[in-house]
Amino acid sequence: MMIRFTIDNIPVEAKKGETILEVARRYGIYIPTMCYISKTTPCASCRLCSVEVKDVDGFVLSCNTPPTEGIEVTTESARLHEERVNIMKLYDVNHPLECGVCDKSGECDLQNKTLEFDVDRQDFSAKDQFRPVKHWNLIDYDPALCILCEKCVHVCNEVIGDDAIEIMMGGYKSTIVPKNSETLDCTFCGECIAVCPVGALVSSGFKYRANAWELSRIPATCVHCSAACPLEYEVRHTGLNGDKAIFRVKNNFEYATLCGAGRFGYDFEVRESNGEDALTKAVDALTKADAIRFSSLITNEEALILQRLKEKTGVRLINEDARLFKVFEEAFSSASGKRFYTAELEDVKNSDAIIVLGTQIATDNPGVRYAMTVASKQNGAKISYFHPIEDDLLQNVVTQFVKMEAGTEEGVVALLAKELLAKTNAPEDIQSFFADLDEGYLEAESNVGEEEFKLMQRQFRRAKKKTLIAGADLFAHPRAKNIATMLGLIEKYSEYKVLLVPKEINTLGVSLICDLDEESKNDSFIVGYNARGDFTISSLHADADLFVPALNQQEGTFTSIDKRVVPTNVALEYEGVCLNDIVKAFGISKEYTVDFTDELVQRDESFEALSFDTLENFLSEVGEDVRGYKLKNRDVSVNFTLEDIEDLPEFNGTVVYHADPVLQFNAYTARTTELPKENFLRGSAQFATAAKIKDGDKVVVDLGDIRIERLFKIEEKLKGTVAINPTFDIELSPNRYRFEKSKIERVQS
Amino acid sequence: MSNTEMFKDRNISEDYFLLDIEDYPTTPWEKFKRVVKRSFKGELFVGLWVVLREMIKFDIHTIQYPEEKLPIGPRYRAVHEMKRLWESGTERCIGCGLCEKICISNCIRMETRYDENQRKEVGEYSINLGRCIFCGYCAEVCPELAITHGGEYENASEQREHFILYEDMLTPIDDVLNKKQREFQGFGAITPHEDERLKKTPLAY
Ligand code: SF4
Ligand code: SF4
Ligand code: SF4
Ligand code: SF4
Ligand code: SF4
Ligand code: FES
Repeated sequence: MMIRFTIDNIPVEAKKGETILEVARRYGIYIPTMCYISKTTPCASCRLCSVEVKDVDGFVLSCNTPPTEGIEVTTESARLHEERVNIMKLYDVNHPLECGVCDKSGECDLQNKTLEFDVDRQDFSAKDQFRPVKHWNLIDYDPALCILCEKCVHVCNEVIGDDAIEIMMGGYKSTIVPKNSETLDCTFCGECIAVCPVGALVSSGFKYRANAWELSRIPATCVHCSAACPLEYEVRHTGLNGDKAIFRVKNNFEYATLCGAGRFGYDFEVRESNGEDALTKAVDALTKADAIRFSSLITNEEALILQRLKEKTGVRLINEDARLFKVFEEAFSSASGKRFYTAELEDVKNSDAIIVLGTQIATDNPGVRYAMTVASKQNGAKISYFHPIEDDLLQNVVTQFVKMEAGTEEGVVALLAKELLAKTNAPEDIQSFFADLDEGYLEAESNVGEEEFKLMQRQFRRAKKKTLIAGADLFAHPRAKNIATMLGLIEKYSEYKVLLVPKEINTLGVSLICDLDEESKNDSFIVGYNARGDFTISSLHADADLFVPALNQQEGTFTSIDKRVVPTNVALEYEGVCLNDIVKAFGISKEYTVDFTDELVQRDESFEALSFDTLENFLSEVGEDVRGYKLKNRDVSVNFTLEDIEDLPEFNGTVVYHADPVLQFNAYTARTTELPKENFLRGSAQFATAAKIKDGDKVVVDLGDIRIERLFKIEEKLKGTVAINPTFDIELSPNRYRFEKSKIERVQS
Repeated sequence: MSNTEMFKDRNISEDYFLLDIEDYPTTPWEKFKRVVKRSFKGELFVGLWVVLREMIKFDIHTIQYPEEKLPIGPRYRAVHEMKRLWESGTERCIGCGLCEKICISNCIRMETRYDENQRKEVGEYSINLGRCIFCGYCAEVCPELAITHGGEYENASEQREHFILYEDMLTPIDDVLNKKQREFQGFGAITPHEDERLKKTPLAY
């Protein structure tokens, strides 16, 4: 049902739930705003968006008023103009005259609107206050510049989920303050900086270093996780004669969101140069290599080049991260009957019921976390989170935390599948498989039972759009295949759409493009590509034998969690050689790496034969993701067997879980200047007792085959006997199940 | 007050007069007449006589550059200067980057940072005088009257590129404390009666 009305005599139609402002914008009719941000609920604090409606007294706020049938809206009149000019004058009262130094100058809404409304005189006044600048770690807040639009508060609460800031009301003295804390203690996504229309919230690392108009914007894609968020690197020369550098990262904050690693972790480019004979040595190494071990921090094009190399020389390709994902996905799709899982981030945002399983999602993939926050805050979605470790970051959105035992994922998924497939049209044999489960045993071992599922179903009672999110804990699980099969059945027969969360930026891409081999003891000489080998070709390792450009120095495409092929561009030029140059010796190189883009389709028919230059890299005016193209999903034959669930593994004693802290993902983030690089082993007081260690102790985490040295830190918010071990600073094979029994030894210092 | 009145006081001398210039000839006949007139009027000899006369008198007005130098006008646009505040001696430049942005020959480059006093500080600043066309835009746009032109016109250089740095342009601190800094009066300077035109912000409290 469309609602018909007119704006400035232009007949328009509104969808249900749309506001007058949204309709106006869709039709390209201009209404000035100061506090509006599309991705949150209206802040409704500026009143600049006032319009007149025929036969209605006074003004109507267009940003939070839905139209009714037949109304006549006027967006311009002498009265409205006067009102708006007065609002701008009030904003300008005592506003410091410091555009000359302000970081926002040149892109400041207050500057723009003050000029737009020709405010050249001031009729209002107020006693000025002393309001010193607050330094909040990566963020500086200048209350004197703040116009109290509330955008930052809305975005922090409704999109990020930290809910870390609020307005301290006090009339003219009002300011933004950290919530329940002296100083800001949050995940430092920096999204509040992005949305701030003035220079009140700025990045402390960028502050006063460059002006908006000097920076060139390079549209690119964040490389730190599989969400593949759109971002723009802003580049300028350094010093008087210096090289170019990335000064900051910005994003289309109106619709898209970045986490702090994307926003502050941008300077990971390779500056080292290669020795003269490094290239020759690399070619020799590749010639004699038995295998190439590589990580998924590469573009689709690089993956294709590696595959071509394999076809040419028979070298084996090892990438355990992508291989495990591929195995998982194949088992999943042979049960679901679809080539890919069907959910996307947009589906998560629109869900009203979400189940999360097998991932510490807030740090594994902040993009998914933000989508969950949007679902929770804007649709009131209920979220059930199954994991052995409760995540404090999700406390504002998760409505039911189900603490399961580590290692029992297979049992939990089986019980879940039984619950979700009941009363569906799943065939008899499947139903009976689940009916025959030894529920008592599974419940006892996993700690997840009827009660939890009952509560979950009660929460989801009214839900219409349901999503199940499954992550990396499952991919490296010894029983991954069976788990994947059961999830595939859930996708096929229940009303849940499933979202698998690939680990790295291009895990999905590599899994589609490369024929991957298993690690083997027989590989005596391994070349590493963005991974360690006997000869290391890398942009990640400071001691590489041959350096190649980092992902902010390359053009190419990634395949994101949304199964979308998204382009990225060169922010900083790289002088040395790249993979395409190295393989010239093998006769497979092309003029440019991106000349491989239209050949991806030769490896998997889900790709399209589109050349790199035809791929767009922006969000549309109404916020749709139109970057690159989406992989084609297709029907595949159903062919699976459900394996009986034998014993569930038990994890007793001091168990560690491999997961990165907020703002850290990989060797790139580990070498950026702004991001914190805390690599503590974090555990609860209970864990400390069990491991007989104290806060601040230097410990060795003994995993049997490797020993990791860490400082131990007690984290009050953690419970139980599982400690969290970061992996961003060590190269841990992705084929290790993320929970591991460990021996913790205290190191005498 | 008429519209142009505020431009009157621009310290130019009062005794300007207009030259009486004949109209240009248009027809070929008039042009021919002018050639004949100029050829036979003997003005050439008048000129030669003046030179000869002055030579004999030994009263030569030529400035013996570089031994002698004429004082330069206060509005002359030669090599830039960076001024300091009179009261404190603090550098006026706030690092806004407007001069760098407006420069049409793209010859200013600067770098700024956040300093320990929580202010924006200019780190490096250079002007390539080999490219500068001395248009004065930088001095005009500067909101702080920091960058101005100065009277230093001797900037011959062996190279096309010829850089001048912030430190070279900055008024020495002693000069400003001893009140020896000279304000630039040309392009970009405020008009002498600016104070009268200021309006205060209403402060009702
Ligand atoms: S916030 Fe905007 S108006 Fe205020 S000083 Fe900065 S640039 Fe100028
Ligand atoms: S940085 Fe992110 S989490 Fe922290 S206050 Fe700003 S919006 Fe909230
Ligand atoms: S800090 Fe910025 S975004 Fe937040 S209320 Fe102030 S002006 Fe608005
Ligand atoms: S005088 Fe003109 S050309 Fe020279 S530095 Fe200033 S703005 Fe640039
Ligand atoms: S315009 Fe003036 S204040 Fe601004 S950077 Fe240039 S010299 Fe400094
Ligand atoms: S945009 Fe509607 S009140 Fe600000």
